[in-house]
Amino acid sequence: MLRIEGLSAGYSAKPVLNGVSINVEAGQFVAIVGPNGAGKTTLFKTISGILQPGAGRIMFGDADLLTVPPAQRAHLGIAHVPEGRQVFPSLTVMENLEMGAMTESGRRDWKQNIERIFDWLPVLAERRGQFAGTLSGGQQQMLAIGRGLASSPKLLMLDEPSMGLAPSTADFIFERLIDIRKQSGLTMLLVEQRVAEALESADHGYVLEAGRVVLEGNNETLRADDRVRKAYLGM
Amino acid sequence: MEGFLQALAAGLLIGAVYGLMCVGLGLIFGVMRVINFAHGDFMMLGMYTAFYLFTAAGVQAVFGNAVGPFVAILLAGPVLAVFGYFVHRTLISHVSGTRTASLEGEGHYAQLILTLGIALILQNGGLIVFGSVLASIRTPLSSSAWELGLTSDISVFINKARGIDAIVSLVIMTLLSLLITRSRIGKSLRAAADNPTAATYMGIDVDRAHRVAFALGCGITAIAGGLLATNYPFHPFVGLEYVIVMYAGVVLGGMGSIIGAFWGGMTIGLVQQMSTLILPTQLQNAAIFVVFLLIIFFRPQGFFGRVVERT
Repeated sequence: MLRIEGLSAGYSAKPVLNGVSINVEAGQFVAIVGPNGAGKTTLFKTISGILQPGAGRIMFGDADLLTVPPAQRAHLGIAHVPEGRQVFPSLTVMENLEMGAMTESGRRDWKQNIERIFDWLPVLAERRGQFAGTLSGGQQQMLAIGRGLASSPKLLMLDEPSMGLAPSTADFIFERLIDIRKQSGLTMLLVEQRVAEALESADHGYVLEAGRVVLEGNNETLRADDRVRKAYLGM
Repeated sequence: MEGFLQALAAGLLIGAVYGLMCVGLGLIFGVMRVINFAHGDFMMLGMYTAFYLFTAAGVQAVFGNAVGPFVAILLAGPVLAVFGYFVHRTLISHVSGTRTASLEGEGHYAQLILTLGIALILQNGGLIVFGSVLASIRTPLSSSAWELGLTSDISVFINKARGIDAIVSLVIMTLLSLLITRSRIGKSLRAAADNPTAATYMGIDVDRAHRVAFALGCGITAIAGGLLATNYPFHPFVGLEYVIVMYAGVVLGGMGSIIGAFWGGMTIGLVQQMSTLILPTQLQNAAIFVVFLLIIFFRPQGFFGRVVERT
């Protein structure tokens, strides 16, 4: 569904990504893990079109994404739940969700989507009239996820949903994500620093270090790999 | 007592028009974060557009002297909105929006110089095209008044033209706030203002949102200018007199708060008129800025400003 080939990108002269290739099949849950500064967020920003790559190709289905203007990429079915949540603070929870549903599919499925989102993340239903800027960090993260789901995406991209959250809140959000995936069969691409949790729940994983894919494989291969065990799992 | 009520009424009437004028600028600043120095001159163009629509384009002949000016003024709004759309597309969009989002200072230096340049071209171009003779949109309503008898011996006079100006301002303001708070396009404008990057992730074309905000802001201020022109004569450099008031109103209302700008403008109108009770008329504008500084001293974020800036 998403095929990234030889992608190099970065800010001005400093390349952050160096020939990265990543493949996400329909229905898969793929995790990209790696330390701070490995280029994970840069990768997502390039997929969403906020950054222009220096080289490489990004195919989404049959579409060459690099020829699609950034604002049109959401309409193709890519939902980006950005790093640091980035909800719209002066809009209410409900209005934030409506912004998620700006796409044609989001508008069409609005009724059933909102029901499912409130079902998965009941706190959003309770707070629907509240300004998003007044929510706690965990609630904002749930709103960001709900906002992504509201577009009826084909691919949900999650950039560090656990960032800056208390461990118990982060655990809760992971559980919700796994439930959502089980019930919806949605294709998900996750970037995480919490390597153990990410690899445990994903079908397939990539380890990104200093802008390169240093390791890839399915979840058992990765978790059995010595380097991963030593560097990330603390075993 | 009568003098106080009279000044209060005058302040509320002019305040409503100032409020509308400020909202035009507040919309542009709130959504785009662009400081538009030319906004007073867009208003000047709105005044002349209404003037020529009324006198030369046949509005006077069709609607007469009482209704005609207001028809011309309302028509000037869409004309200036189209003009603003065009100016954004050809000039402003090159130094704002997603093109400059990743630059240091988000292109603010280029924006300042560009909008100052547009202001100079409009002012001096206006001088060439319209001449330096004072113009005004004359209606017999400007020189007649309604008498509001509050008690047997206290009554307040409401200038008919100013009364209608205020009503038109309030109606447009209501429609605009409905558009901003309820409609899809209004919500996406607010989302683009809150966080342009996240708005792009939602599939909102941020540059298009900016274009809509700029056009809308120009159209609204043009209407406010036309309304002012029913009572105040104008000339090609009139924008300079008002642009300061506009910025004061936007800052008072809270930078970035669109509806707040209306209350900022209203406050300025009230202070201006009430100050005549105790100060000579020449000090009206001094009074505005003394009060402005006092309010900003105690409430630096303005009436409706958020203390925390967008992330």
